[in-house]
Amino acid sequence: MTNPLHADHYADRAVQQRVTVLENVQLARDTYRLRFEAPQLARQIVPGQFVMIRLAGCNDPLLGRPLALYDTVLSPSGEPIAIDVVYLVVGKLTSRLAKVSPGQTLDVWGPLGNGFPPTPAEHLIMVAGGIGQTPFPALAQEFLGSRTYGSPPRSVPRAGRVTLCYGARSADYLAGVEDFERLGISVRISTDDGSQGHHGLVTDLLGLELARVSRETDVTPQNWEINPPPLQNGDPAELMTAYPGTRVVCCGPEKMMEQVAKISALLRIPCQVSLETPMACGIGICFSCVAKVRDESGNWDYKRTCVEGPVFEAEKIAW
Amino acid sequence: MTTPPPADSAPVDLSVQLGRLRLPNPILVASGTAGMLNSIGLDNDGIDAFLEHHLPYLATVGAPTIVSIAGRDCDEFIAICAQLEGHAGAAAVELNISCPNVSHGVDLGTDPALCAKVVAGCRAACSLPIIAKLTPNVTNIATIAKAAADAGADAISAINTCLGMAIDWRRRRPLLGNVVGGLSGPAIKPIALRAVYQIARAVKIPVIGIGGIATIDDVMEFLVAGATAVQIGTANFYNPQGTMALLDQLPAALAMLGAKSVADVVGTLVVP
Ligand SMILES: Cc1cc2nc3c(=O)[nH]c(=O)nc-3n(C[C@H](O)[C@H](O)[C@H](O)COP(=O)(O)OP(=O)(O)OC[C@H]3O[C@@H](n4cnc5c(N)ncnc54)[C@H](O)[C@@H]3O)c2cc1C
Ligand SMILES: Cc1cc2nc3c(=O)[nH]c(=O)nc-3n(C[C@H](O)[C@H](O)[C@H](O)COP(=O)(O)O)c2cc1C
Ligand code: FES
Repeated sequence: MTNPLHADHYADRAVQQRVTVLENVQLARDTYRLRFEAPQLARQIVPGQFVMIRLAGCNDPLLGRPLALYDTVLSPSGEPIAIDVVYLVVGKLTSRLAKVSPGQTLDVWGPLGNGFPPTPAEHLIMVAGGIGQTPFPALAQEFLGSRTYGSPPRSVPRAGRVTLCYGARSADYLAGVEDFERLGISVRISTDDGSQGHHGLVTDLLGLELARVSRETDVTPQNWEINPPPLQNGDPAELMTAYPGTRVVCCGPEKMMEQVAKISALLRIPCQVSLETPMACGIGICFSCVAKVRDESGNWDYKRTCVEGPVFEAEKIAW
Repeated sequence: MTTPPPADSAPVDLSVQLGRLRLPNPILVASGTAGMLNSIGLDNDGIDAFLEHHLPYLATVGAPTIVSIAGRDCDEFIAICAQLEGHAGAAAVELNISCPNVSHGVDLGTDPALCAKVVAGCRAACSLPIIAKLTPNVTNIATIAKAAADAGADAISAINTCLGMAIDWRRRRPLLGNVVGGLSGPAIKPIALRAVYQIARAVKIPVIGIGGIATIDDVMEFLVAGATAVQIGTANFYNPQGTMALLDQLPAALAMLGAKSVADVVGTLVVP
């Protein structure tokens, strides 16, 4: 008999453990990369999944906080041995985490959530707003064929191109850009204040990127949202052929994800978003993380982001 | 979550008797904190979906299912109890008369007469063991417990969440959408311990202790204060495998007091 509350990505494989911090280094303004030793977790976790983290033996804050997999760390012999997460200091846990030194311990449970599906993409466009860039280094490597994740390792057809559109408040908040560039993917930057890259929103970058890939169309960041690429035969299905094999994945502030979802829907490009709903347990028992998600018939229902997400088809979200 | 391997258990009897309900051990999961027992009442699928989909599944998991119910008023509590009657799979029913649902302007769990009325009505409507779950947000919890016991409750569970509040003073705004909300977890343990102690002295029926329990020391404190069993709520959120660990640690803790069974320590507090 099956549990009616059971989700496909229930935390059945998750393990709770006390882990040792190996590194905690600053990457950018208020942004740190934390590395902790967790071989079993590192073997299991896939891009887009997350872990819940607490300071060991500390009840303030009481509840764990979700952080996405940034990357796994391999031993010299190529075995996954540690996990990297990258966090932005915004509140209680993250500000305490910033003071943690190597050798200190954390309570961690994971891997949690569904992760990004390994669906084939000819061109994978990753759209990141602020700290929403964290799930993408691992995903990029998986689609480039340079790394595998999961136990047994999941197979992902290699993408022809991988592009990152990364928007931040200002240049000093941009974190891990070198990590992405080292992978050999196209990195396009925008900042709200123009201190680096395109002066404007990351959604502009997506518009530009799509204009670049579609030869016949004239899409400019100023007009493309109201003016989708012109249709030659008036058939919206035609648009799909304008972006064959393109897939958009997105993580960041809700408003930005909603915009990216709209753009993708308009251009009939498959799009998945990773929601950053606040979570209390991460394992499906508290219902504090619900989001409005539509079913096949278009009706929405509350779904638990931690076990039925955090990655959802963008068109299913009732923004 | 995967469960840790069971530790070698000492020869201690962990089973407890909650009125007519016998449990293999005294550690339970609190309502609303297991994604399961929270399935009845207002913000959920309702009793019909529960009986059709959830209860049959729960009956297969190998642990007794205590169904927690909440009604908008006394009649709704009784109607749900009547519906539960005769359904295999429910080992007992816990009446959540401690949620802030209002009946004629008075909270059912804050007035001894109303509390007695609900319990007596449910008692008449179903033959399952009845547990009355009480709110700490009252002046004298023992009076309410006594009213529930006299009306036929098989056991009392206490406490539900304490009313609390959080404020962002810089913005002069409450942090909770409803301004005030239910406080749970380690912060309320002393309040819960006091409530259990007072209730256990006021009634003859068993008491289930709830509130901030997270460690084996917490469990033992509640047993000694007078609880026959305990429920773990919020700790399941921040220590998912902790409840199972408590079960492993219990025999050794009981043995430290020279106890052969849980009953040997229940209510053994020595007040100088
Ligand atoms: C699946 C998932 C993956 C994530 N991955 C990452 C990641 O890789 N990196 C990362 O940096 N973040 C990530 N996040 C977000 C991260 O979980 C939060 O930033 C983190 O929980 C903040 O914890 P904190 O204790 O530091 O902040 P908190 O103290 O909890 O505060 C967080 C924010 O909420 C405000 N706030 C605090 N309490 C309340 C309240 N009661 N009501 C309203 N507002 C309040 C604070 O002012 C602050 O702006 C992810 C979230 C999810 C769901
Ligand atoms: C998120 C949450 C949901 C809860 N839902 C219910 C509920 O539906 N019914 C109920 O009787 N108690 C509910 N409770 C109260 C708990 O069962 C318990 O009485 C209380 O939280 C104190 O125990 P704790 O400190 O171990 O959490 C809820 C508590 C929390 C934190
Ligand atoms: S965070 Fe608790 S159910 Fe999702």
